[in-house]
Amino acid sequence: MFRHTPLRYAALVLLASAALFQAFTAQYFGLEILTEILILAMLVLALDMVAGFGGMVSLCHGALMGVGAYGYAVLSTTAGLTPPVAMGAAVAITAGLSWIIGAICSRSHGIYFIMATLAFGQMAYSYVFEAPIFGGDDGLGGIERLDLSVVGIDLNDTRTFALFCLVALAAMYGLAVVILRSGLGRSFSGVMHNEQRMRALGLTVWRVKADVFGLSGMIAGVAGVLAAQHIMYISPGLMAWTVSGEALVVVILGGLGTLVGPLVGAAVFVVLKHELSSLTTHWHLIVGVILIGVVMSRANGIFGFIEDFVAARSKSANTNPKAREGTKDA
Amino acid sequence: MLETRNLDKSFGAVHVTRRVSLKLERGERRVILGPNGAGKTTLFNQLVGELTPDSGRVHLAGEDVTALPVAKRARQGLSRSYQKNTLFDGLTVEENLGLAAAIYTGNATRIWSDSLGKAEVREIVRDVANQVDLMPFLHAKVSEISYGVRRQLEVGVALATRPLVLLMDEPTSGVGPEMAKGFHDLLNNLPRDLTLLIIEHDMDLAFDVADTITVLNYGEVVFDGLPDAARGSDLLKEIYLGSWEDA
Ligand SMILES: Nc1ncnc2c1ncn2[C@@H]1O[C@H](COP(=O)(O)OP(=O)(O)OP(=O)(O)O)[C@@H](O)[C@H]1O
Ligand SMILES: [Mg+2]
Repeated sequence: MFRHTPLRYAALVLLASAALFQAFTAQYFGLEILTEILILAMLVLALDMVAGFGGMVSLCHGALMGVGAYGYAVLSTTAGLTPPVAMGAAVAITAGLSWIIGAICSRSHGIYFIMATLAFGQMAYSYVFEAPIFGGDDGLGGIERLDLSVVGIDLNDTRTFALFCLVALAAMYGLAVVILRSGLGRSFSGVMHNEQRMRALGLTVWRVKADVFGLSGMIAGVAGVLAAQHIMYISPGLMAWTVSGEALVVVILGGLGTLVGPLVGAAVFVVLKHELSSLTTHWHLIVGVILIGVVMSRANGIFGFIEDFVAARSKSANTNPKAREGTKDA
Repeated sequence: MLETRNLDKSFGAVHVTRRVSLKLERGERRVILGPNGAGKTTLFNQLVGELTPDSGRVHLAGEDVTALPVAKRARQGLSRSYQKNTLFDGLTVEENLGLAAAIYTGNATRIWSDSLGKAEVREIVRDVANQVDLMPFLHAKVSEISYGVRRQLEVGVALATRPLVLLMDEPTSGVGPEMAKGFHDLLNNLPRDLTLLIIEHDMDLAFDVADTITVLNYGEVVFDGLPDAARGSDLLKEIYLGSWEDA
């Protein structure tokens, strides 16, 4: 089950401050990067919920985000729904779809689960690619952002939209924490640790998995809606399995099952991508080397490394001074 | 309360359960004895539904549950502990018991509230912790408690679903005779209306708690009766003591 430690609170405060600072001081390009980070952070938050706390390593979360994005795009343009209604409907559709995927895949584990989710993702991808209603290869344009002018907020302003995404991310983070700390979240973690025992205690395991997977898909759907509103144009590339793969890389890079770590991972990943791609076209290579380094270090990602480091420091600070003198003498 | 009729199970050519018929009355405490490999655990697995018998029926509280999945049987009041600890290692004793109690009270699937904060869950956790002597360890993690205490928790988790029938697979396996005796005192203090089926390796310990005794050998019931009769049975001595001395 998820726990907030002082270190995690500190990291959250630091991340939020950095994001706010960036949101108020950065120029156009900096704001675009910030928004990209925030949306990716929301996607990896959703993925960490299921992968880190329930062992459901999904390779369809990118596609789920795509469902949210396409859902919003089609509903708000072709279907002519107002943005708030289209947003709600798109998120609900994504949640429902991912609940079904979660229910179907709940019986499979490990590599089989990964492959099953990948298959669902690929089905969604090829459907979107072929179906005329989704614009096929060309994608869909002319997507509008949410109109909040009644409360005096203009989301077409880059800075305001970045702040909007930050608020949305904070809300989704809060939601994820509430879910993971709830009775459902506890059962979900219990299932990851010992599915057989949870079943023997009377838990309907597939329901618990489907419910959390659905809620995680809902958050991915919100990320998709924001992604569509951000770029105001979407293409099938959004649903390619590599998006899911990248999300998984970010979760592992940041720290699986820490919730805070993936947020750090998202920031590091996007900044690295932009910094390195301006230097070399082989930036993927460098990110790959970093990922291998992180995995080989046997720490749980960047944030796991920091947690281990802090734990080791406070441990050595707690050991009694005499004992330490003793070791020095020896 | 719990009844089996002609349960039969083979693994390939190995016939591990042979037409086993058992009948436990409400509140009965029955001990299953039998040498290694006699098919005791396999029988439990069929009772709770983790294994499907090749033929035969299982009845719980008068209802045929043979076709019911594990979780449904559990919710109808059948609970078990395992021969090998099956605990949630990273969690505290309290959280382990809480997971089980949450399922029983319907709090295990709630999204907006934490199950462990619920008064009804806390009450069960406290009750069970008292029943199996875990009060001093409530906030310790499983990794921090001794093996013997873990054995108590193994049974505690099973008890926290407030079962009608509790199956215990060698609850005292691996603990010293002293601790095993203490454990049997705990079992003796469980509510009298709880039906118990206990696999036990040690015959003397078995006599501490048993109302009735069943002896399995090569998957077959070779004795079914009162402890006194079991004690005097030559057949039992032959089968059971023979292998006991090997061990
Ligand atoms: N899944 C399985 N596949 C094949 N054979 C099995 C399986 N499970 C158990 N067996 C075999 O069935 C027989 C009975 O095993 P079981 O575990 O029920 O014995 P037991 O009476 O519980 O023994 P112990 O006292 O050692 O716990 C053994 O010969 C065992 O090897
Ligand atoms: Mg056994």
